[in-house]
Amino acid sequence: MLRTWFGRRPSAPSTPRPAKDRSKLRVGIPRVLNVWSTHRFWTAFLEALGVRPENIVYSSDTSEDQGREFGKGRGAVDCCYPVKCMSGHYGELVFGQRRKLDVILSPIIYTLPSFLHGHVQGSFSCTRVAAGPENIKSGFLKEADVFSGNGIRYASPFVSFAERALMPRQMVKGLGDVLDLDLEEATKAVDAGFDALDEFNARMRSKSREILESCAREDRPCLLVLARPYHMDPGIGHEIEVNVQASGFPILWMQYFPLDSDLLEWVFHDDLKSGVIRNCFDISDVWPSSYSANTNEILWGAKVAARLPWITCVLRLSSYECGMDQPTYTPVQKIVEGGDTLLFKFGDLDSTKPSGSVRIRVETIVHYVRKSSSDIIARKRARLPADCPLLPRR
Amino acid sequence: MATVSPPRHYRAYRPRPFTAAERKDVTILFGGLTWKHERLVQAALENQGYKALPLPNIERVDLDVGKELTDVGACCPTTFTTGSLARFLRDKAKEIGPEAVNRNYVYMTAGSCGPCRFGQYHESYTMALDGIGLKEFRLFLLDQTELDQGAAAGGGLEMNMAFSLGLVWGILCGDLITDLEYRTRPYEVVPGATDAAVKEAVERMYQAFRSRPNRGRKWGALAWTLFSRYYTNALKDVRRIFEKVEVDRLRVKPRVKITGEFWLQTHEGDGNYDIKRWLEREGAEVVPPPIAVWLDYLIGLALAELEEKAETDPKARKKVRIVKLLQKAYTWSYNRLRGALSGIPAELPDQKVLQELAQPYYHFRLNGGEGYMLVGKALYAHRNKHAHMICELSPYSCMPNTMSVGAMANVMGQHPDLLYSPIEIKGDAEVHALSRCQMVLTEAKKRAQREFDEAAARTGLTLEKARELESKRPGLRSAMAPFPHHGAAGTAANHLIELARRSR
Ligand code: SF4
Ligand code: SF4
Repeated sequence: MLRTWFGRRPSAPSTPRPAKDRSKLRVGIPRVLNVWSTHRFWTAFLEALGVRPENIVYSSDTSEDQGREFGKGRGAVDCCYPVKCMSGHYGELVFGQRRKLDVILSPIIYTLPSFLHGHVQGSFSCTRVAAGPENIKSGFLKEADVFSGNGIRYASPFVSFAERALMPRQMVKGLGDVLDLDLEEATKAVDAGFDALDEFNARMRSKSREILESCAREDRPCLLVLARPYHMDPGIGHEIEVNVQASGFPILWMQYFPLDSDLLEWVFHDDLKSGVIRNCFDISDVWPSSYSANTNEILWGAKVAARLPWITCVLRLSSYECGMDQPTYTPVQKIVEGGDTLLFKFGDLDSTKPSGSVRIRVETIVHYVRKSSSDIIARKRARLPADCPLLPRR
Repeated sequence: MATVSPPRHYRAYRPRPFTAAERKDVTILFGGLTWKHERLVQAALENQGYKALPLPNIERVDLDVGKELTDVGACCPTTFTTGSLARFLRDKAKEIGPEAVNRNYVYMTAGSCGPCRFGQYHESYTMALDGIGLKEFRLFLLDQTELDQGAAAGGGLEMNMAFSLGLVWGILCGDLITDLEYRTRPYEVVPGATDAAVKEAVERMYQAFRSRPNRGRKWGALAWTLFSRYYTNALKDVRRIFEKVEVDRLRVKPRVKITGEFWLQTHEGDGNYDIKRWLEREGAEVVPPPIAVWLDYLIGLALAELEEKAETDPKARKKVRIVKLLQKAYTWSYNRLRGALSGIPAELPDQKVLQELAQPYYHFRLNGGEGYMLVGKALYAHRNKHAHMICELSPYSCMPNTMSVGAMANVMGQHPDLLYSPIEIKGDAEVHALSRCQMVLTEAKKRAQREFDEAAARTGLTLEKARELESKRPGLRSAMAPFPHHGAAGTAANHLIELARRSR
């Protein structure tokens, strides 16, 4: 699934031909942070403006080699690896391209397009996610302007994904000069971006539903990953879930959990009935300060995992020095384990994959999932109404 | 077939209501500011009929208590404040028993729509309560951006306009006294005179806040707070207290502006290695960060957000007008209070100017932590010669602060003459942090001396001559003597130029 993550599709045929010729423009986007959950938007947005798919270049997955080769000496501070590694991505886009780029687009993502938006107090991104580009660019500007020195224009639009109506103007402010963009074009391109993002998310969720249905049919376990979107990057999440999957257990990512009301109403049946929550996306029962989109989603995912029978185990991935995850460790553990579900935490992920300890822990996980899943499924199943929407109607 | 066990689904902490009937028996605990601000906040709360008590000042041991009770990796302000609350409650529980603590105390703290931990402090607090066996203890979060939040927490806390204005004005007056304090102490002739004056001034203001008249809960309270002479008269007493402190402003000292994360920069004590006092002992004059600037920053952020919305939403336009009016009233009020102290405390910097200064380095809409202010304030002080050096306090494991410190690298690249010392505060690595600061301070001292020597050369005034002039005008040796800015960063250089002008 991840291999095709940043794959490009041609623009929707309904997109009108842009008046300005941007067919030669080459735009690089660092494949970092919440670009992992918004890349479909960026690709479709640029395509709708006439940038050719082959001219939209995402940097590679994170790797230590990338950092060594392109980012060395450019990091300004010590912080969590998902931000620190950005220097390598920027550097790769500047120095590592066979065909030179014209623009580097590194968005300041202020709020996120969260499926919980409207049910929570806010959908902010982590302050480091938002400010990461300002921090990293400084390493490329402090001595001399490396971007312009290489004929590249650096653009960092400030964007509020949670408030779609603001985005066209934000694009004009942040990209107007670089892309010669006007409001009308921006409005159409933003719409195209959101359409692509929504369509992609819906597709991924329906795939997750298929997996859940097959688990329910066969009464076999699957695992849910609770992590930030960029833990899908093999250099950040170190493919821990892939190692577990190799033992034959399907893996779901919370970001793409199905949101169908039949399923969620079944999962949260008791909580809805008792009035503990107002609706299936209400997390106020477990997390009162619901301002941060990805954090909210992790808490919500923990609730789902605690209830859904076939999710018998949660993999919690966190990066070393992650200040957003830190206050959630205990609540997430209590939520998941309170629902008789296994939880395994990988809390200090950094640049190097701790291969030895991952191997041992994966063996432990596999052992426990094998040993306990049928009991867990039965216990959790017995607490829910008989009529399960994941199973064919009898 | 497995047995059907009832689920033990986790629920977040929810405090029992604090009812209006309990007010007279329940003490509201709070903390996180300086003892001066806290004393005035206490008075404002008592005036509204609450029993209130600031937590004891933070001590080093609070860091250990905090670490022991919360998940690993919390930022140092979270750890210190959690530890401080837990230590107080634990000791109290030993003294009067846990039930009595749960019954007789509640804790009130400012919350924020924090994308950082500031908005999630409660999580650490509740873990700590769990850890010390006081799950039933009640803690409440105030929204720091709302003046009128109505009855909250079960009716026990009535957060109306009168309540909030009392708190805000208490904070503003705390800032003004703190400003005088730090301008005076490095130059006091009689050691200890400043501290004594501060104590007396805070008590005077405490009495004023405690007995402020009741002018209703909303508009009456607002009009009275804005326009009456009540607070300015009380501050004139403060002026008279400081007038008696004799100073020698011809001592050459580098001015060191403190910036950084809100809690750390405000704090005075072990939580930041008591760095302000340490700097003074090392021969510096400290420029402390007023909380008033932080409040102005919050207004500025809200305004920027609304201004953007107003581009597409007509309803937001009305709000923009209201917030602009609020901002004007705020600055006007602060200046009015400053006026009662002869205009000596520093003006509030214009937030728009700070935003513009920071913009090439740090987007002004990025909130969390100090946002654009870290860059903006450093450049503002540097360009306007308000300080020789910036000492920036970065909390260990802070999220937003690491980002703005990174952006500062770019600022430094473009402004190599800016003396900037970022200090990471872990709480337990004092020697390392202070020695880093020491290095930059040495350079700041040289600059202050150079600046003074240049002023002396320009004015033709030697130190001896300047002292002679001073002796003829004893008023200039008062802590409340005018403090004009003649383009130098240092107090001594400005004072020298002032003497030269007066002698013409
Ligand atoms: S959420 Fe955590 S890992 Fe991600 S950028 Fe923020 S602090 Fe770093
Ligand atoms: S700004 Fe930094 S130090 Fe302050 S509460 Fe937020 S994360 Fe902690």
